[in-house]
Amino acid sequence: MTLQLGRHAFGDNDTLMMAIVNRTPDSFFDKGATWAEDAAFARVADVVAQGAEIVDIGGIKAAPGVDISPAEEKARVVDFVARVRAEWPGLVISVDTWRAEVGAAVCEAGADVLNDAWGGADPELVDVAAEWGVGIICTHTGGVTPRTRPYRIEYDDVVAAAIADTVAYAERALAAGVAREAIVIDPAHDFGKNTFHSLEVTRRIGEMVETGWPVLVSLSNKDFVGETLGLDVGDRLTGTLAATAVCALAGARIYRVHQVVETRQTVDMVWSIAGRRPPLRAIRGLQ
Amino acid sequence: MSTALVPGVLALLPEYASIEDPVADLRAACLAATGRLGPCVRVVASGASGARVGAALVAAVGGTVVESGETGTLVVANGSARRTEKAPGHLDERAEGFDVALRDDLTSADVGLAAELWADVAALAALAGHVLADAEVLFDDLPFGVQYWVAVWGLETVAEQPPRPTKAD
Repeated sequence: MTLQLGRHAFGDNDTLMMAIVNRTPDSFFDKGATWAEDAAFARVADVVAQGAEIVDIGGIKAAPGVDISPAEEKARVVDFVARVRAEWPGLVISVDTWRAEVGAAVCEAGADVLNDAWGGADPELVDVAAEWGVGIICTHTGGVTPRTRPYRIEYDDVVAAAIADTVAYAERALAAGVAREAIVIDPAHDFGKNTFHSLEVTRRIGEMVETGWPVLVSLSNKDFVGETLGLDVGDRLTGTLAATAVCALAGARIYRVHQVVETRQTVDMVWSIAGRRPPLRAIRGLQ
Repeated sequence: MSTALVPGVLALLPEYASIEDPVADLRAACLAATGRLGPCVRVVASGASGARVGAALVAAVGGTVVESGETGTLVVANGSARRTEKAPGHLDERAEGFDVALRDDLTSADVGLAAELWADVAALAALAGHVLADAEVLFDDLPFGVQYWVAVWGLETVAEQPPRPTKAD
């Protein structure tokens, strides 16, 4: 399905790297490495140079922590979005927020996508996306409150639940006036899910692809990888790429990542194995 | 009638297309040569894969492959694939001399030696009376250790040539 993310259009078969850019002092992977605005700006420059099509700018870490008010969240991301917009007109700017108030402010500053990692916790976010003509990422969290960890959540069928909730969210966005080609669904690994759930969602990600909505996966260095392999945050790249390969084979379109280069290579390789992308330059045996 | 020579390079086939064309220059030359053969082209190749390459080139320029009544002839053949260490057949010291001789007389190849040197020469018999010196040569190189020629003979250049004696003579 063709994607129209704000100002930017992508073809039916394009895969997209969404690089994570944290304007936070405490996110789990980078632990505040890009908390300073200039450091975050340098991170954007790096991932653009590495070929990322999208940056996902976040002002609040997903895990529980110090309460961040809407005013504080805006202070962290709005001017930064404007600065990135001015420097890279061709870059898709996504902002990781669940708050409509913050969403409106970043759209005004030049954002193209609202990445609602918390599954529609603020019902007015879709109206903001519609009003500004931007894309929206519809995630599945099992209905948990933003910034809480899953605790004894069980599903009859986690994939069925993820499909039901994300498709319902997508249709709510569509009804609110968001363009069909601007809506993406995301099963949200680890959000409202234990490791067994995230593994099953990965194994059955093709069922989400079959809904026809473009699928985003956010796998990067997450706990389900760490728990599966017994590895700390800094050692999860290989496991992340294995999960990435499985999702790519099934046809997921957008990859929210810390490591752009490695993920791009993995997705390109698998996309070619799947017959959706020609080799870059094949001559062996064909001379 | 016009005649053209192209190599049977499988990378020219649409089903083997890459994102970056590894044979862009060769392809451009082959298309230019094939485009000079008119709408109805007879393809002469040593085997099925060469015939496919020829048919793909004819299709790419909007022509039709015919068995008779042709407006032009496309010969699919090439020199040795053992010209360098990285060549498909690795280096054979005899290959360069073989290709030099072939360049002078396209129908001169010893069939046994051609097989040893991985040269696809069987279709060159169709070029009796054609010499490269009289052709418009669009490509003459060995980019992957395989000797390719792309050449076109127009009406006037061939009509004036008497049949050349063959090796057997």
